[in-house]
Amino acid sequence: MSISLPPVLVLQSVSKLYANGTLANDNVSMEIAAGEIHAVIGENGAGKSTLMKLLYGLEQPSSGRILLHGRVCVLRDPRQAIAAGIGLVPQHLQLVPSLTVTQNVVLGSEPTRGLGQQLLHSRAAVQAVSTAAQRFGFQLDPYAVVGDLSVGARQRVEILKTLYRGARIVMLDEPSAVLSEQEASALFASLRRMAEQGLTVLLITHKIREIRTVCDRFTVLRGGRVTGGGNAQDFSDAAISAMIVGRELSATSSATLTRRPPGQNAVALVGAHGLTVKRADGRVVLNGVSFEIAAGEILGVAGVEGNGQDVLAHVLCGLRAPSQGHADIEGVVFTSRGVRRARAVGVAATPEDRLHDGVAPAMSIIDNAMAVQYHQAPLSRRGWLDLAAMRGLARSIMARCQVAAAAPEALIGTLSGGNMQKIVLGREIASAPRFLIASQPTRGVDIGAAQVLHEQLCALRDTGAAILLISADLDELLALSDRIMVMSQGEIVAHFPAQQVDPGVLGGYMTGALRAAAAAALLASPFTALPAPAHHEEQA
Amino acid sequence: MTPELLSGGLLLAGLLAAMLRAATPILLAALGGLVSDLAGSVNVALEGLMLVAAFFGVIVSAHAGMWFPQLAPAWYPWLGCLAGLLAALTLTGVLAVCHLEWGADLIVAGIAVNILAAGLTVFLLASLVGDKGSTAALNSPVLPSLHWPVTADRPWLNVLLNGAYGQGHHVLLYVALLGAPLLALFLKYTRYGIWLRAVGENREAAFNAGIPVRQVQYAALLLSGVLAGLGGIYLSMGYLSLFQADMTAGRGFLALAAIFLGARSVAGTFCAAMLFGASTVLATQLGAQQIPTQLVYMVPPLVTLLALVASGARRRAKARSS
Amino acid sequence: MSESTAQALIAQQQRRQILQQRWRLPLVILASLAVGFAMTAMVSEEPLQAFLTLLTGALPRLQWSPEEGWRLLRMVRFGAVIEDAVTLTFLGLAVALPFRARQFSLGADGQMFLAALAAAAVSLYVPGPAFVVLPLVFVAACATGFAWGALPGVLKTRYQANEIVTTLMLNLIAIQFYRLLVSGCMRDPGAGFLVTPLLPDRLILPLLLDKTNVTVMLLLAPLVVGLAWLLLMRTTWGYEIRLVGQAPAFARQAGVPVERAMWLSMACGGFFAAFAGVHVSNALLKRLPVDLTPGLGYEGLLVALLARNEPRAIPFAAFMYAYLRTGAQAMERTTDVSREVVLVIQALMILLVVSERLLPRLAEAWRSLVQRGAR
Repeated sequence: MSISLPPVLVLQSVSKLYANGTLANDNVSMEIAAGEIHAVIGENGAGKSTLMKLLYGLEQPSSGRILLHGRVCVLRDPRQAIAAGIGLVPQHLQLVPSLTVTQNVVLGSEPTRGLGQQLLHSRAAVQAVSTAAQRFGFQLDPYAVVGDLSVGARQRVEILKTLYRGARIVMLDEPSAVLSEQEASALFASLRRMAEQGLTVLLITHKIREIRTVCDRFTVLRGGRVTGGGNAQDFSDAAISAMIVGRELSATSSATLTRRPPGQNAVALVGAHGLTVKRADGRVVLNGVSFEIAAGEILGVAGVEGNGQDVLAHVLCGLRAPSQGHADIEGVVFTSRGVRRARAVGVAATPEDRLHDGVAPAMSIIDNAMAVQYHQAPLSRRGWLDLAAMRGLARSIMARCQVAAAAPEALIGTLSGGNMQKIVLGREIASAPRFLIASQPTRGVDIGAAQVLHEQLCALRDTGAAILLISADLDELLALSDRIMVMSQGEIVAHFPAQQVDPGVLGGYMTGALRAAAAAALLASPFTALPAPAHHEEQA
Repeated sequence: MTPELLSGGLLLAGLLAAMLRAATPILLAALGGLVSDLAGSVNVALEGLMLVAAFFGVIVSAHAGMWFPQLAPAWYPWLGCLAGLLAALTLTGVLAVCHLEWGADLIVAGIAVNILAAGLTVFLLASLVGDKGSTAALNSPVLPSLHWPVTADRPWLNVLLNGAYGQGHHVLLYVALLGAPLLALFLKYTRYGIWLRAVGENREAAFNAGIPVRQVQYAALLLSGVLAGLGGIYLSMGYLSLFQADMTAGRGFLALAAIFLGARSVAGTFCAAMLFGASTVLATQLGAQQIPTQLVYMVPPLVTLLALVASGARRRAKARSS
Repeated sequence: MSESTAQALIAQQQRRQILQQRWRLPLVILASLAVGFAMTAMVSEEPLQAFLTLLTGALPRLQWSPEEGWRLLRMVRFGAVIEDAVTLTFLGLAVALPFRARQFSLGADGQMFLAALAAAAVSLYVPGPAFVVLPLVFVAACATGFAWGALPGVLKTRYQANEIVTTLMLNLIAIQFYRLLVSGCMRDPGAGFLVTPLLPDRLILPLLLDKTNVTVMLLLAPLVVGLAWLLLMRTTWGYEIRLVGQAPAFARQAGVPVERAMWLSMACGGFFAAFAGVHVSNALLKRLPVDLTPGLGYEGLLVALLARNEPRAIPFAAFMYAYLRTGAQAMERTTDVSREVVLVIQALMILLVVSERLLPRLAEAWRSLVQRGAR
């Protein structure tokens, strides 16, 4: 589709600076034509969700203008956005499970008749909903109860919600994240029908494949800025991937850290065999993941969030039992046995969401530091806590990780994110684990603290422990890991030695531009072949 | 009709009528609790709300003649009813504001309201009537009963429709019986009913759909106060014709149990309330048969516990099978 | 906004919060007493006198006479305060411990009733010298309380049964069972009303104050409070309870046995409620009547809330509560105001204490008023 039609939505140098100093969107300019399916693509943290919030009235731009149908548009809240014809299908569906499809679609704007606008005009509502559903090819029973529907069907109900309220521009936030392959194809078919009827679709995603299958044009965001865009068919996958992910390796991080050359210590300490997790609704979120880690080795896990890494972490630390498969340390199985048993075998983990799962913010540093070892000597004997030992442990963790807080009795919630994470990691390391699962260890952490955390990870590795490093930060992965595996859609799709791969290739596999058959990251496995060096596009 | 069948039928009808009478206050309070629970707020203050409504109903209706000499006596009980409802509404308003505006934990605040109501009613009872036990000294009227003319050849129908003494069932009993289906219709077929359920199930979705969530929460709590108030008024202006200290005797908590026993549905709550009413009646009947009343009184809470365990066990089995 | 101004704002907010926390309880008490005073003013001829009696009526009076020197009078009344405070201390602990694990256990009433029953049963039917039977009384009562507290805990962890409903139901069952036994097999045939026989003299707890029912339980109470505090702060069980109450997701991630902490907290609550049961049966009443008024457990709830679930503060909250209650009884005897006004005061205190945002909102409104006035 060419852009000869006048654009229906134009962003002119839109920026968003948050109160805490984050520049989420930096001079973003885009033009979207009517009847177009446009993808906004980028990694997590690239500024996609902020852009969406700006377009839906949840935030206001710090500078720049938004033009709708050629006129400047100020959206102060979602109601104004809806009135302007913009609809949003959020990633976490906002539906009421016990109500029917019709009732959910018309929620808040029900057609009524009589009794002071109270009696629902169900027939009118059903009529409106079925007409809209038919028009866009949605197979939905207006009387079905939403709680019984599949995720794909529920998503369609959400789309219908926006259409019912007269949306001409429909934004979808990572819609395929929760869908299976077939459901995703069905969704894209519906999107195409919507575009044929003149609606504009804005698709927020991180999967390059979707640009190919459904989009006309795309825009790439990285670090809040537009780094590229154009017609979908004019660019190769590798080129798009480079726009999304390409960055220089920061020189500092690799110099100070040593890495074991691959091939040494070729005996596996930790082995995962065919880990599979099937959810209650039938969706497979982890599919046959197998890997091995030698002692004193760091295996990095690259992947866009939501591709099974968090499920893998939960399975490995004992919070969740896999439907199939197991993992072991030197033959001693530790999955499906609960967290305590896993810890007893030597497994430790730092969670992704530190505030929710990693600390008790209203308790002291001491109370937080002892959380994994309190039931053992020297912290307690026969159920009786040893205060001096507790304080000593907290002090030693604070000293080792350079946490400059007031006192160990201070509430951990008063610490900065970096200091909190230091306590979290320090606590796990203090339990002398043989296998550490570190999920996003430096997320939301300042550079100084990140440095200390990296040093601690390397120190742990040097004691002979195996580390699984799950991170969305490719710099971190490349600097710390000995080997890297890429996860996508719950499977391992690639496996490299860290020194021989660059962010472009990793990004390719992460975003699905490059595809290998499901791989296993065993020590003896062959590495995924690197693609032939393509001529590099200019990286803005 | 043989005498045995006749007397058997009469007995059954009498029991049924008594069951309805006993179940009415529990049913009214339970419907109120259900409304607020469906909107996401568990109202544990039903007991206290019933109490204040019962008290103010009696006081105002007894003094109405003095305060409004122009008014025809037939209006006194209705004035009392209105006063009782206003009292329950005010107390519910206090609960709602503390919870919704000032962030008080709803359960703790509800318990505090119960204690407040207990203290306030006895305090005022002593000050206004001079007797800390009851308002027996006052001559307080009751709300009317509805009498159905029944032909003489159906004595059991007469007993069923008009009670054991033929005086007719209390108007609030009919309100309770009608209230349940009306509530079910409200929740299914009106806009506000849908909004109420949406707010209770997924507050964020309701908010994003443009539903005035705060308003709905207030309305749900206040409506629960009105219904609980009606239950209390029935106690002091129908079931009995006076107010006694602590006359609710735990019915507010039984109403809560009825909601959980009835799996938070109107039909289930109705049946549960009937069950609790039946157990009260059964207790007196079985007491005559040497079965200790305490055992019978244990049945409703036991049944509730078993129902909770059963539904939990079912959920466990389902989770394990998938 | 720059980093430093953001930090300055946060520091200011933290200072304000600390200030508000410190002033909260005194302001709440003052406000509730003010409303109580208003109520007495509405119904009484001499409100000031009545309210003063409320505030001081429980105090013993110091009297000087040339023959006997200094004497403390009205100790019986003060004794009632102490007795109540002791019972309420135990009941407050019974509620506070589950609350620390974020479990809304309202079962203190039922636990107390059953424990009292167990204590009376052992006292009446187990022969032997006091130094053998009395400890058995305590053991029986505590075991009963522990079990009756563990029951809703297990129902919650295994069947996700809401603990508010289950504890309320178990209360009802316990009270009916109590009444069944007292009016049935444990009934005293010689008494004119439904009551158990008098407990044997040797098993009644020794008195500390003449003419009152203040017994050695007064000495036991701080020990039990200390035990509760030690349990909570110095044992692994207590640590688990606190952690599960503060951050259940984190506790699970760290491998803490969350379910065990939940039901254990409720079981320990029952354990402490049992002491109240022994107090009622072997110290206060010396025989169990069928019409023992339920509802004391909810007053224990108020005490626990006033003490913010901190074991060491519970005796003080219990004392204040009992003090006001006895003062109200004195007020009722000597003036024309009935004692239930104190229930209203206490309920208001709870409402105000748990309305977290009230004080910040008032402070904000006050600040904006002042600003507008200054402009």
